[in-house]
Amino acid sequence: MESVILAASECDVSEEIICAPKDVLELFFFEEALFSIGEFHFTRTVFLIFLAMFIVLGLLYFGLRKGEKVPSKFGAAIEALVTFVKEDIAIGIIGPEGVKYAPYLLAVFMFVIIGNLFEVTPLINFPITSRMAIPLFISLVTWVIFVFVGFKKNGIRYLTDLIWPKSVPIALRWLVGIIEFVSTFLLRPVTLAVRLFANLVAGHLMLTLLLASGWIFISSVGDIGLRAVIGLPWFIFGLGIYVFEIVVAVLQAYIITLLSAVYVQTSVHPEH
Amino acid sequence: MTPEAADVLKGAIALVGYGLAAVGPGIGIGIVVGNAIQAMARQPEAAGMARTTMFLGIAFTEALALIGFVLFFIA
Repeated sequence: MESVILAASECDVSEEIICAPKDVLELFFFEEALFSIGEFHFTRTVFLIFLAMFIVLGLLYFGLRKGEKVPSKFGAAIEALVTFVKEDIAIGIIGPEGVKYAPYLLAVFMFVIIGNLFEVTPLINFPITSRMAIPLFISLVTWVIFVFVGFKKNGIRYLTDLIWPKSVPIALRWLVGIIEFVSTFLLRPVTLAVRLFANLVAGHLMLTLLLASGWIFISSVGDIGLRAVIGLPWFIFGLGIYVFEIVVAVLQAYIITLLSAVYVQTSVHPEH
Repeated sequence: MTPEAADVLKGAIALVGYGLAAVGPGIGIGIVVGNAIQAMARQPEAAGMARTTMFLGIAFTEALALIGFVLFFIA
């Protein structure tokens, strides 16, 4: 937001009609570190990551705390969320042994949903999952889990069944094997990370451009009246996208949890 | 061609590429959701399963469009 406004304030709004930022990549650059401990630079993003962690811990601690005979509305809501991840995602997708993976899936779901919702939180307006490090780390952990579980449950047959599938006609086995190997071991973690990352970046950019350009147009009402007329529909459109982004934030958290469960499931029962 | 013009041209081509990359997934998501709605309407008791599978299908289909989007920024 700041970069767009800075880029727009550089040009003279009363003369130039189109005012493009010189370099869109400005929006992706890391800002100055607030303070550093050795090699670790604490930027706003890092603080938001810690904030998300504390919010998740706080929600789970205060929501599921023992001692109250009748759970409060808040406690019931958190309990419903935990039950949803455990019953519908973990057990529903993986099967009875999915209970083992429920804590990991719950952690991913809670962290990603809080991180995504930062996008539509006023005054924060920055989804931490739109920095590639977070989705990539989550998908790499999922990758390690499903590869480890696959080898543990099936031994070396996990790999040989993938690259030499018995159910396929022999002439096609090598081709299917290559496709399966690449898609399982290379494309899965990349697409899992890119899906979350690109959705959030797209949403963040769209909100920034619509709301900021609408605001800039409206705020130049004294200069050119026509600009305000152009700006108002964009601002309203931006507010519509704002509501849509809440849906996207929740849905993407659900989808990354669901896909993590599906990937683990394909390792637990490789035949299906 | 000057370097600036080449940059502008590269950006324009990347934009067209992203547009092309979005066509296939758009059609694909339409087919997925349409068939899921049909399944839900025919068998409302299996709506939960159809919905989960629909989200999975959307996620897999959408990946191509998103890769196109990322490539647009890389280009």
